[in-house]
Amino acid sequence: MNALIFSIFNGTLYGLLLFMISSGLTLIFSMMGVLNLAHSSLFMLGAYFAYSISTVVGFWPALIFAPLIVGVIGALIERYGLRRVHKYGHVAELLFTFGLFYVFEDLVQMVWGKVPLPYKIPESLNFALFTWMGLEYSAYRVFMVLISLGIMVALYWLIARTRVGLIIQGSLTHPHMVAALGHNVPRVFMMTFGFGSALAAVAGVLGGNVLGTEPAMAAQLGPIIFVVIVIGGLGSLGGAVIASLAIGILTNMAISYDISFKTFFVALGVSPDAVGVGQDLIATTSGSIAPILPYLLLVLMLIFRPRGLFGTRDA
Amino acid sequence: MTVALELIGLRKSFGPTEIIRGVDLQIKKGELHAIIGPNGAGKSTLYNLISGMYKVNDGSIILNGNDITNKEPYEINRMGLSRSFQVTNIFPKMSVFENVRNGFLYHSGCKYSFWRFVNRRKDVTERANEILQRIGLEGKHDVPVMLLPYADQRALEIGITIAGGADVILLDEPTSGMSRSETERTVELIRSISNDKTVVVVEHDMGVVFDLAERISVLVYGEIIAADTPENIRCNPNVQEAYLETDSCVQE
Amino acid sequence: MIQLLKKNSIWILAGFVILVLPLVFSSGFAISLMGLMGIMVIFALAYNMLLGQGGMLSFGHAVYFGLAGYFTIHFINLMSEGAIGYFPVSLLPLFGGLVGLFFGVLIGFVSTRRAGTIFALISLGFVEMMTALAFILITFFNGEEGIQADRWVGPEPLGITFGSGIQVYYLIGVWCLIAMIAMYALTKTPFGRMSNAVRDNPERAQFVGYSTQRVRWMAFALSSFFAGLAGALYALHFEHIGYEAAGLELSGEILLATYMGGAGHFLGPIVGAILFTFLKGVLSDLSSVWYLYLGTVFLLTILFAPTGIAGLILRHEPIWKTDVRLLGKMVLPYLGALITLLIATGGIIALIEMINFVADEYSQGSILSIYGIAVETTSFIPWLAFGFIALIGIGLCRLTFPFVTRNWDAIMDTVKERMLR
Repeated sequence: MNALIFSIFNGTLYGLLLFMISSGLTLIFSMMGVLNLAHSSLFMLGAYFAYSISTVVGFWPALIFAPLIVGVIGALIERYGLRRVHKYGHVAELLFTFGLFYVFEDLVQMVWGKVPLPYKIPESLNFALFTWMGLEYSAYRVFMVLISLGIMVALYWLIARTRVGLIIQGSLTHPHMVAALGHNVPRVFMMTFGFGSALAAVAGVLGGNVLGTEPAMAAQLGPIIFVVIVIGGLGSLGGAVIASLAIGILTNMAISYDISFKTFFVALGVSPDAVGVGQDLIATTSGSIAPILPYLLLVLMLIFRPRGLFGTRDA
Repeated sequence: MTVALELIGLRKSFGPTEIIRGVDLQIKKGELHAIIGPNGAGKSTLYNLISGMYKVNDGSIILNGNDITNKEPYEINRMGLSRSFQVTNIFPKMSVFENVRNGFLYHSGCKYSFWRFVNRRKDVTERANEILQRIGLEGKHDVPVMLLPYADQRALEIGITIAGGADVILLDEPTSGMSRSETERTVELIRSISNDKTVVVVEHDMGVVFDLAERISVLVYGEIIAADTPENIRCNPNVQEAYLETDSCVQE
Repeated sequence: MIQLLKKNSIWILAGFVILVLPLVFSSGFAISLMGLMGIMVIFALAYNMLLGQGGMLSFGHAVYFGLAGYFTIHFINLMSEGAIGYFPVSLLPLFGGLVGLFFGVLIGFVSTRRAGTIFALISLGFVEMMTALAFILITFFNGEEGIQADRWVGPEPLGITFGSGIQVYYLIGVWCLIAMIAMYALTKTPFGRMSNAVRDNPERAQFVGYSTQRVRWMAFALSSFFAGLAGALYALHFEHIGYEAAGLELSGEILLATYMGGAGHFLGPIVGAILFTFLKGVLSDLSSVWYLYLGTVFLLTILFAPTGIAGLILRHEPIWKTDVRLLGKMVLPYLGALITLLIATGGIIALIEMINFVADEYSQGSILSIYGIAVETTSFIPWLAFGFIALIGIGLCRLTFPFVTRNWDAIMDTVKERMLR
């Protein structure tokens, strides 16, 4: 029972991080119609900048400045890159962000190296906050949860209760109308992209020292983010919350519980003494299948219900 | 006289707004029928329903005795109905000839074949050239369509629509944006294609409507308020109140 | 007869070039590289059936390439073990094509129900699943290691064993020529024309009687056939297949190669594949950050030359059709732009190489060899010098590039004027 709660706690933590990254992606996609394939790269940059800043002045300034820097980078990408490509259509935009993904991965490897960085949890938070049912809950992780929740609440307040939020809500479902109403659309786009990038970077700052800071982190997390926004629904922030938490908790539980699928396949008719492919199937566990699950969900959702669970648009 | 196209109790809503509110219409085979009505009456929506672009909320559409309600656009086209678009909807990267040929390709039997060169089918080439002549663009055989002047593009639009040999043709504001002489050319073209086909035209140019149409339907706020001969429509008080506002009515 | 030869002269030329290349570049390395080029040409052309001709962006086309490779390797191994009868190795690419076709039909059916961004995401999902599967179904895919095979199997008709590199090269060459002709011919069929039509205006295509999903599905299936054909050749070429052959990275590479070559013309993917394979083979030795340069060039291509190399060349078509001599007027501006560009990039590349070197924390000493010059990276002089060069180059470019544009516009005006006469 305590293991379950611990698993849910960690799953929720992971899910909240996923939400921070995917919320920016959903905002950008809903407003601008661009699926930013390089969004997880911004997450990665957040972690890397946080590492560099924290080795000089410590973790807390990093928490402020890394997202700022990445936010500016995001705004510049929109201003000088995406804006120019926009006129060539969605395929060109996708290709551009795809190219960005590659470039960021190489830049990061060039400047910081190919090996994982020793980005550490700040000393001030590196202790067990409390122990419950025999399992330690690290203060840092609780801090992460609190900050993420705080951001989530702030985001909700921003969207539901401010004028800017109204514009965002409008463009989530009717992007063309927003322009017709007289808002400076290019500027809105640029700010949205910058803001979304900053959000992803915060996730990087918080999660980099827990999940590991290495060049492959963007490629590992990237597809999962797409799964989140597709399942949650294109254009729906609420859907993104639910999908992030669901995927975070499920993947966590699949790995920590590592249920064997032997009984399942034997029931399907695979002999327990099978060799070859049969043997592979029997040996599968929830842990070994875990990598494939998000993509399976992605494909199934896209095929049968591209709108996602709560989406309002079909892209 | 058989009925080529029949609409029975057609309804269509977008969200809470009902655009088509119970349309009943019968278009006889070989007729040249015009649909008129004020802006926002739902004429384009009606076309989109008939041609399969939108799904109906209620009612049915019968083409030559077959129910085509809610079928896919390509199925409807294969059953003998073809439509043109108000905003020119051609294949931007191809030549004039290829555009027209595309209209005929499926119906020629070529379908999805990938084992034969399309140029080998002489009948396809001949047919496409024949259509080009009818719409008056044979001199612009290989011109990339984006370079064509507007009126030529509208003519091409009609060309693609008729190329497939459909016997029920829906034209959506074919003369919109045209000058007097271009309109006259188009009217002649429409007249020539209506000889053996059923042609329905949505139009705003009343001169064209009263010149061409054998029968006229008036669509107002998603309902047909009158369907009759041009003379009767002209004198119909409901129509006058809702749309025409003309007192040039000659009682015969 | 002469007519036939004239009409197909380009294919005869291609065949001749393929025949003669090993005589010019005869080292083992060169022959192997050229073989790989041939394979990538087939793969890129197949990919362009989706991208350029069908308007479908796929991030996972290597799935069909790689799966065909896996099946081919297993096929050969089963032959050597005697588990199945003999099948000519030279016809194995057909088998690979059928494997590709099979999976293309299956996966294509569900993928092509959607278009645009969703289609791209579905392809991403499938390629990631493929990679994960390679580590789950160990017996078939063998995860990290991959599977070996020996292509020297069975009777040896005419002494052809495919044991040597040159024989494999010619096998690839023949199939490359056949595939090129076949895919070119496809563009001239009703299917090919409608594939283009669906790309440009799927709505209108429906209204002239075509199911756009069916057209796209066919394009997907046929494209997967040729991808599989290339995959089988790949397996034969390296006598090995691994999960990378069916993964996201290779899919991304073929996308880059096709796009940069030019997706809008048949020649584009051919040029792109050859160039890409060459750069990958040669540049990876010269610089450890060559991938960064590639990515940057890709971005620049999207921004400034979305029609790719073939597109850039073909922009000149109206000029040489009107009057070849007009091209002469572009020589000087192009030359000027090229030289200034070289200066600018020379400086920038040197700086990047130095950054890369220094970021390694001098694990290899402090002296870096750039363009053959030994550079002491701890001193500020080289940084200043290369930075200066880069800035000068950029400044000069701002003079030469507008010069190119002005001349180009003038020439195009002349061309238009003559065309309307």
